Order: sequence, then structure tokens, then C-alpha cells
Amino acid sequence: MSAVLLELEKASKSFGPVRVLHDVDFAVRAGEVTALVGDNGAGKSTLVKCLAGIHAVDSGTIRFDGEPVAIPDPRAAARLGIEVVYQDLALADNLDIVQNMFLGRERGSGWLLDEAAMEEAARETLASLSVRTVRSVRTPVAQLSGGQRQTVAIAKSVLWRSRVVLLDEPTAALGVAQTRQVLDLVRRLAGQGLGVVLISHNLADVFSVADRVAALYLGRMVAQVPIADVTHAQVVDLITAGRTGERP
Amino acid sequence: MTGTTAGTRPDEARRHNRTALLRRLHVDGPCTRAALAGELGLNRSTIKALVDGLAASGIVQERVPMVRTGAGRPSLLVLPQPLAAVVLAVDIRVDRVSTALVGLGGQVLGRDGWNLRGRAGEPTEVVTRVVESTRVLTEELGSRVVSAGVSVPGVVRRLDGYVHEAPNLGWTDVPLGHRLTTALGAPARVGNDAELAALAEHLRGAARGARDAVYLSADIGVGGGVISGGSALRGTAGYVGELGHMVVNPAGAACYCGSRGCWETEVGEQALRRALDLPAHSPRGAVVAELRLPAAPARLAEFTGWLAAGLVTVVNVFAPELVVLGDLFTALPRSVVAEVAAAVAERSLVSRALGGTDLRVSTLGADAKLLGAAELAFEPVLDTV
Repeated sequence: MSAVLLELEKASKSFGPVRVLHDVDFAVRAGEVTALVGDNGAGKSTLVKCLAGIHAVDSGTIRFDGEPVAIPDPRAAARLGIEVVYQDLALADNLDIVQNMFLGRERGSGWLLDEAAMEEAARETLASLSVRTVRSVRTPVAQLSGGQRQTVAIAKSVLWRSRVVLLDEPTAALGVAQTRQVLDLVRRLAGQGLGVVLISHNLADVFSVADRVAALYLGRMVAQVPIADVTHAQVVDLITAGRTGERP
Repeated sequence: MTGTTAGTRPDEARRHNRTALLRRLHVDGPCTRAALAGELGLNRSTIKALVDGLAASGIVQERVPMVRTGAGRPSLLVLPQPLAAVVLAVDIRVDRVSTALVGLGGQVLGRDGWNLRGRAGEPTEVVTRVVESTRVLTEELGSRVVSAGVSVPGVVRRLDGYVHEAPNLGWTDVPLGHRLTTALGAPARVGNDAELAALAEHLRGAARGARDAVYLSADIGVGGGVISGGSALRGTAGYVGELGHMVVNPAGAACYCGSRGCWETEVGEQALRRALDLPAHSPRGAVVAELRLPAAPARLAEFTGWLAAGLVTVVNVFAPELVVLGDLFTALPRSVVAEVAAAVAERSLVSRALGGTDLRVSTLGADAKLLGAAELAFEPVLDTV
């Protein structure tokens, strides 16, 4: 088994009287894509937000590299090396790729930004992910396609040496071809040794990139298995009924 | 002397020059008319006639260069137009297929990929999915594919793309070139993965400009591609390159190829998993993550020894000026690469005679085979576009 980077044990979370997560166990492994599936309201986004420091878990343990940690806010998550990419990506349209990748973390001192070093780092990062579809790192983000924008958002996590990347439906707003491009990148992200969590509603996507599938049903983790061990139909059953039927 | 156009008919000479000019733009990128004339040894009026013709057909575009050098009227910059010729590149691996549309000049215009599990790895399934993927990518781009190139980890007959054996894929006797040509409606050429990666590194990567180079990659299998005297070393029918099946350890494990202690069994992906105590089916990314840990070099001591032992022989046999380590080898800790380089410098007498053989890590990374497949597809296109 590959090394567990990030682990959630018996995590529960309620919003007022509504219990959204019930004793959830979840593990993110280095170099693997874990697909997180479940119906609307199953708790997928809440789970990711607990790992990203947006919500605090009510009970349960979070471990990073085997050590118990607290993730009280997004800064703490970033310090540990946990990055989140949302479907409505947080890129600034009026800035170029380099500026977006360094947004909030510009290099240089005082008034002087080291533009050359930032440009070089951005270029190296895109090259390390074999992103060859973006011609110039000085292209304004507004001119990029949806797939390219998502590519920049994902590449940002590599630039900042993140070790775990949580992708919340990164392809929800994209067309077929752009989706494929982003999923291909997701695969390469894991190939670099990062732990990747992919929330997706599209099972074809899940089967084309994931190593492991974790299914949430009404706030409970009903399965976490290598994707090679389950069929398409079994995953559908897990999502819709919380268990697998007796299919051959 | 061969290669000149003396004594040939004018239209042949023009075609030859046109192909040479396109190849120059395709491989090395935009260039001014003046520089083209210098590099190709053609006079400026010939270049003008060729470029005007190509511009009229929309294959190149001309622009005033942004950076000026010297005095006088600036020479126009000639840029290849990616959409003038789009090829399909396919990289078939043991666990995954990657595809890309690549335009003239080498720009990647779109890409796709999927995992191979169970039946998805059968030739028919792969061909079907490649066709479907190509349809999606070309529709998005609004352009058709004029040629296809495919990289396969196995023994391939270059003439017609017949895959004799791709043991790690479980393929034998697959007429892949023929089947893809029919299914895609465009000529498909197939090549050995390491040979194509060597081609890509030679044209666009770490071995650019080198006359003699060896590319070595570790995937499930270990393969090598050899550039000799500036062009690919092919061997009879193109079968050269099974460097991974060079026996390094007669006391080693049996290999599926029928031999024992092949280099592949000592330095392949599975050997790395064993050295790192990872289970046999752990994903590639887990191996990479483990190689990044500070403890990795110490655990790779035996692996490093076998890598060096094989490389000494490779350098002695091919006398390359440089060796490019590709694929999973790109994730090796720097100290391991340095140790292997030192061992080669010390133990290979050819390396000593050459004053040292350079050992470099691939700059194209996991894309070397895919980009090599694209170049394979471009070979016939540059003559006809």
C-alpha cells in the first residue's frame, strides 16, 4: 500500500440539527487519485471543506503524515500542503498566468517584484506537468479556454509544493474535450507523487483516472476500494443505495 | 555528394527545398527569412519564393520581429501555422493510453488519456477508444487529422506497424498500423516507444543537437533508443532497441522473454517497487512519491549498482556523447544519478576515451514517447502538406 498522506478517522460534522458526516474514515495516499463519489447532499463537499480548513470537524481525528493535526482555517491547510481547486475557480481575469499563479504570494521585497524569477518558476511548473497547451505564461487568463484556466488553477498547487490536492468537480463547467484535458492533467498530478482527491459525478471520468473510489451515502463512508475491484454498476449502487447489490 | 539538388529537375529541387524549410520551421520554430537563407544555404530570392508560396497556402505566416538586431530593414519572421497540419499522437503504455493532437511546429493542441484495466487493454478496445477520443479532440479543434503516430512498448515492424510482441501489454501479432489506418481514415505509423522517445529527445529535448545519443526509459519494461550519426539506429526491419533484455545478472530472476537476469528485471519499475518495499500493484505515482523521500538513495543502493553496470555496457557498445534517462528514471534522486554517472566515467573505457559521457535526465518527462509519436506522424506530412 502506498503511504497515507492525509487521513480522517471517525469524523463527524453537523450543521445545527442536521448531521452531515457520520464517523467518516477517509485516506488520501501519495501518488494516487482517489475519486470521492456520492449523491447530492451525501457530504462530499463538506468532507473536502473539513480537510481544507473551511469547516472544523465536530469530532474525529485528522492525521497528516501520521501525525494528528488541527486544520482550523485555510491557512493551516496551506501550511500542511493541502490545496483545494474549486469548480468556480479563483483566478483573476485581468491578470496573466504568472500573476495568477503567484497571486498573494508574490516574490521580491517591498515594492519590487522579481518578475523574471516568477515567470521562470511558472514556466518550470507547467513544464513539469507536461502542460504544452498553453503557449505563453504571459497570456491574460481572460483569453484562456475553460480547460486551460482549470489547468492554471491546478498547476498553482504544484508550484506551491502542495502534497495533497482536493479537486471539487474541476470539470463541471467544461465541455467534453476540455474535460478530458483536465482529467489527463489530474492523472499527471498523481504521477508526480501528489495525493489527489477528485470529486466527480461522472463515472466515466472516475473510471478513466482514479486508482481508488470512496463512496459517501447520506453522510456515511460506505466503501473505499481500489477501482479495479468494482464495476460501474456497483459504484452506481453505492451512490444510490449505499451498498452493492448481488450482481454478478 | 548526396543531399544536394544538382542535376535534379527544377520542380524536384523546389520540393526538396520546401520540405527542408518546413522541417527547419517545424523542429526549431519561428525564424527570420535571412536566417533561413543562411541555415539552408539557399539564396534569398529562393527563400522568398518558397515562403511566399507557403504563406499563400496558409502554412506559414510572416510577421515583423519584435526584437530587432542590427541596422536596416528587419527581415520578416516566418512562423509555422499549427493548424496547417494536425497529427494525432498516441502513446500506448501498460497501464494507460495518452493521446494528443499536435500542430505543425510541435504545439500540443489538445490531449486525452485513460487508464487501461482488464479488457480495456485489448487491441480492439484500444483502437475503438483512440478513434472516439480523436473524434472528440478534432471536433473541439475544428480540424482534421492528416496522419497518426503510435508508440507501443514492444517489437514493431516499422514498414506497416505490425506489432510482433508487446509482452507487457499482452499483445502478440497485432496489425495495429493497418487497423488504425482503416479506423481513423488517415495513415497511421507505429514505432517502438523507446525509439520514438529518443527521436523526441533528439529533436526537442535533452539530446537536441547531439549526433550520438542513447535514450533509456523505465516503465514496466526498460527500453532504449539509439541516435547514431544524427539519425535513429534501427537494425533489421527496425527491431533494434531491446536494451532492457541485455543480461546483467546471470544469477537473477527469470524474465518473460526467455532469458534470465535481464537488465529490466534489475532496474525496471517492479525492481524499484521491490527496493522501496511497495506492493507490486501500487500506482506509478506512489513509486515517485517514495523516490522523493530523503531515505530513498540508501534503499536504492543495489538498484544503483545494476543501473551503473548496464549503463557501462551501453556506453561501451554505442559510444554516445550523452545518455538521456527518461520516464520513471527522471524521478530518481539526483544523488543516484550522480553516482551512476561517476561509475560510468570510472568503469567505461569508451567513456574515458571520449573524455566522459554526459548522463542527463529527460526534459520532456512523461511526454517523450507521445511527442516522438507525433514526430513519426509528421515525417511523411512535411513532404506533402
